Amino acid sequence: MTEYPVAKIEDYGYKEHRFLKAAWKWVVNILFAGTILLLYLPSLVIALQSVNDTSDLSVFNKFDFSAYVNMFKDEAFANSVKNTFIVTLSSTLIATVFGTLIAVGINSLETKKRRHIILLNNIPVLNADIVTGISLMLIFSLFLRIFPYLFGLSTLILAHVFFTFPYVILSVLPKLRELDPNYMDAATDLGMKPYKALFKVIVPSIKSGIFSGMLLAFTISIDDFVVSYFTTGNGYDNLSIWIYGSIGRKSLNPAVYAFSTALTLLTLAILLAVNFLRLRKGKKNA
Amino acid sequence: MHEEFRKLAKPYLVWLYLLAVLPAVVMFGLIFLDTEGVVIETPGITLENFLYLAEPSVLKAFYNSFKFAILTTLLSAVFGYIVAYKVFRSRFRNKFLILVILILPMWSNMLLRIEALGNILERHNIITDLLSRIGIHIGVNLKGTEAGVLIGLVSTYMPFMILPIYTALEKIDFSLEEAALDLGATGLQKFWKVVFPLSLKGVVTGGILVFLPSLSGFAIPYILGKGNIILIGNLIEQNFKEMNYNAGSLLASLILIVIFAALLAVNRVDKEGETLL
Repeated sequence: MTEYPVAKIEDYGYKEHRFLKAAWKWVVNILFAGTILLLYLPSLVIALQSVNDTSDLSVFNKFDFSAYVNMFKDEAFANSVKNTFIVTLSSTLIATVFGTLIAVGINSLETKKRRHIILLNNIPVLNADIVTGISLMLIFSLFLRIFPYLFGLSTLILAHVFFTFPYVILSVLPKLRELDPNYMDAATDLGMKPYKALFKVIVPSIKSGIFSGMLLAFTISIDDFVVSYFTTGNGYDNLSIWIYGSIGRKSLNPAVYAFSTALTLLTLAILLAVNFLRLRKGKKNA
Repeated sequence: MHEEFRKLAKPYLVWLYLLAVLPAVVMFGLIFLDTEGVVIETPGITLENFLYLAEPSVLKAFYNSFKFAILTTLLSAVFGYIVAYKVFRSRFRNKFLILVILILPMWSNMLLRIEALGNILERHNIITDLLSRIGIHIGVNLKGTEAGVLIGLVSTYMPFMILPIYTALEKIDFSLEEAALDLGATGLQKFWKVVFPLSLKGVVTGGILVFLPSLSGFAIPYILGKGNIILIGNLIEQNFKEMNYNAGSLLASLILIVIFAALLAVNRVDKEGETLL
């Protein structure tokens, strides 16, 4: 009997990569886990520190929740939290309302002017925080002679509005572009004044963009350090400035760890609750 | 839309010229003056400020800044891509929620996170203390070293890389991947020749958003570098604190040039403001 050569799958160019693939998958998984750990490690340490019984940062003694109970006993810290919320809430509100109106204005400009203003609008987004902070400080100090006590709450709010405007505008603009132009025409044809049409027709149909812009503005404003550091004055500290000062003096009050942990958990809870409610609503509708 | 709304944009144009463009002009002007703060009463015009650039400490700061910014961008791109891709390929129904939870730490105060990170970069810290109780003794001192600053920069700015990459991946049409497999591409080829090029826009956006702040920040090197590592941001802060506005403006203007290049690059691919968010 003649022996016929038996064709092997490898002869057709097949290469066995199963082992390599499995190894690669493991490498990627380990890198993924490591990255997540790196992102979460600081928050874990903050949480751990907030329930630590000693203020010594190098040992964990035993669980103790007094930092949560006495959270706002330190007056300077409580003040800085209060200031942070005043600045963030008012600047977010201003930026959202006026940013939306500005976006409507930009959207109705002719192409050349629109591109010009969008280019300028990108400056605060891309600019280094330190340059933004110094720029605003230079401009504000030109007004010092007229308003000697300018630096403080007012300059902080102005600065925060300045760097959150672009985010609101950039979130609203795409929604305006998607909008059917006939809406506006229909509203005015039916006898509405343009501004009434704006609030009755346009704003309701772009509210998702307005909302995401507002969230972005809030997140960026509440966490800002560098711009606030250069534009505040007269002892008006927000949380970031207070933390920076405390780190410099090596006297960080443990209450801030408790505050941060509580805030993170609260955000997580809100996120999950919103998602849960949305899922239930979706099921009901289906 | 309606022409009457055009005037809504006008005040913003004035606002931008006043607060974004004018300061740059003032800053460029301050380079050539010899002033005390911004008191421009008897301005002496001088080129002396440029001598400051030749000082070894300044040169070193520039070298350090670019080195750390480039390394941070590269590391964030690699690790950020892995995270974004994993979430993109996962089978969760609400992937965006997972992504937001992954970058949740970004929402607690940045300085506090850096300080906490600084604590665990010391040889004896709360984690090693806990580990030593179950018999594991490890501990290296990274605070005040280059590696420590790099870890801080990467962990702080990586979320800015993850989000744009994820958005870009999300936009890829699945039928393109199917087509690649149908035409005989292997998994790796499919990724390298189809998926990756299509997600490149996200990588570039993320790269800009990571590169610029890590180039110019001063809080992270201040806290994690313990004064051993000086970046441009630290020098600018120092100069302005000591009322030396001329030298500070010079350094800030140099950063502004880098920013300007980024601005033009973004404007070239996108004139309607769709890239940055």
